[in-house]
Amino acid sequence: MNIKMILLQSFEALVENKLRSILTMLGMIIGVSAVILLVSVGTGAKRYITSEFESLGTNIIIVQPGKTDKKSTMGPPVTSSKGKLTLTDVDALMKTSPSLSAVSGIMFGAGTVKNEEASQNINIFGSNEQFIKIFNMTIGEGNYISKEEEEAGRRVVVLGYEVKKGLFGTDYALGKLVKINDSEHRVIGVIKETGNKLGFNVDEMVFIPTKSALRLFNTDKLFGIRAAARSRGGINDAVKELTLILKERHNNEEDFTVVTQVTMLESMNTILNMLTYALAAIALISMLVGGIGIMNIMLVSVTERTREIGIRRAVGARRSDILRQFITEAVVISITGGIVGILVSMAITHTLYFFFPGFDARPPFWILPPAFLLSFFTGLIFGVWPARKASHIQTIDALRYE
Amino acid sequence: MALIDLKQISKSFKMGDEIIHALDSVNAQINEGEFTAIIGTSGSGKSTLMSIIGLLDLPTTGQYFLDNINTTSMSDDELSHYRNQKIGFVFQSFNLMPKASALKNVEMPMLYAAAYSTNLTDKTVREMAISALEQVGLSSRMHHQPNELSGGQRQRVAIARALVNKPKILLADEPTGALDTKTSEEILNLFEDLNKQGVTVILVTHEPNVAKRCRRVLVMSDGRLTEEKKS
Repeated sequence: MNIKMILLQSFEALVENKLRSILTMLGMIIGVSAVILLVSVGTGAKRYITSEFESLGTNIIIVQPGKTDKKSTMGPPVTSSKGKLTLTDVDALMKTSPSLSAVSGIMFGAGTVKNEEASQNINIFGSNEQFIKIFNMTIGEGNYISKEEEEAGRRVVVLGYEVKKGLFGTDYALGKLVKINDSEHRVIGVIKETGNKLGFNVDEMVFIPTKSALRLFNTDKLFGIRAAARSRGGINDAVKELTLILKERHNNEEDFTVVTQVTMLESMNTILNMLTYALAAIALISMLVGGIGIMNIMLVSVTERTREIGIRRAVGARRSDILRQFITEAVVISITGGIVGILVSMAITHTLYFFFPGFDARPPFWILPPAFLLSFFTGLIFGVWPARKASHIQTIDALRYE
Repeated sequence: MALIDLKQISKSFKMGDEIIHALDSVNAQINEGEFTAIIGTSGSGKSTLMSIIGLLDLPTTGQYFLDNINTTSMSDDELSHYRNQKIGFVFQSFNLMPKASALKNVEMPMLYAAAYSTNLTDKTVREMAISALEQVGLSSRMHHQPNELSGGQRQRVAIARALVNKPKILLADEPTGALDTKTSEEILNLFEDLNKQGVTVILVTHEPNVAKRCRRVLVMSDGRLTEEKKS
């Protein structure tokens, strides 16, 4: 019997037992949907984090003082005993590195910010006028730190959105004075409500000139340098150039670490990929359950259709014909379930995307062929045993079977 | 040479601790074109003999030559092939596929025959099935399912199915057992017609008046076969 006839008969057999076929398929539908949904959530999360990273500014280069031989994602610990980055390094980079569009020394520390109304313990961030470009921040009111204010080390402050709310409520804040670690600073700007930028809650920080921050924390050692490459493609060249310049200034010693968004993203992706695969592995268990469901139903079907098997054998079906027929039925159940599962998971993720466009968990196209093949092989594997059983039924007994 | 040549066929089953000798050294020859009845009481071994003639079962000892070929050493696939090509079965309980139309039922043996013959296209299969149904006088009801047909009509479908691959032997196991007298008569007439067209017919029955219609009667009794002399 040719494959076309077998397929046709398989569909007929499934249609004859509609409810049973649908229930059996349900296991497969759930299994395939689970695999696709979990992989989609994994890749969606990856996409989300990538875009979050990119929202920081696309071409960020991070320079941290100190160096370890071992590779690490985020650079060495901040308080490195060796290596020191200073404002003169920043100046040198500004003047001699054409591939950088912005450079800022940064200072970072905890402190108290207060006025007559309220007091907050928060993060104080020192940076120059270029930092706003590097970190992609938007000013809501007033201005960011100016070049002149940086160079003079003025006591001025730009407030994060939440800080401003905490200190001034809905009142106008520009021009007012706040005390940062008991030193008075004038408010020159408020950052637009931003939220979290990879662990940095911009809304709950205040920004002051780097020089002011160094004075405030009583040091000349920068927390680090942040720079932006002119173009995304030029980021590697920019890193090379920056490294050369700094190395020359540091007696040819590379006592600092350069990290780019690219390297950070890469290691992030490694973690997220592992997570995705782990989720997919868990989803495979539901495929297993679906497969066992198919096997169970096929065994029942073989027993029920013993007489049919006898008739087919009597009129000339070989064992292999019977084997093929029942395997095909199992595969037809499983791939139909698989296709429905693909459609269901597409429907779910697209609906979710429609209502929550912020998190895009639509399945990546590459998952569809493996999901289909998975359902195919599940049917094949779990269909073999019942089909073998069917093909080994004795014809003479089968014809007398009631 | 006879079409069917049974040589010292014995068949025994194990039932619990007891060994049952269903067939005991059966010898028989049936020639092409004969119309033969095998009769016997229930438990005489006639059904077992029919299974062996129909290649549904293998003898414990002895040799069975069908169309001059020793079938006792055949593989399972070869036996399937032989059943498909040489033998048409008709059963007491019709054994039709309940959810398939008469036409589909008749087409089934040819779908398996297609494995051996490449010139059986979908179109020829359909045409041959229709002509087999015409042969048994049922072409008007070919799209009906078995439960929409009367007992006699069902048996006609079964006969059409048995004939469709143009077998040498038509093997009928109590073909009238589930039918009333009038319908039985029609079915037996059909067998006679087919026999006249050259098909070798073997009827297994326990009804003497069915056997009476056959030219040759073989009697099974306690696993042994004897020939009834026709007067």
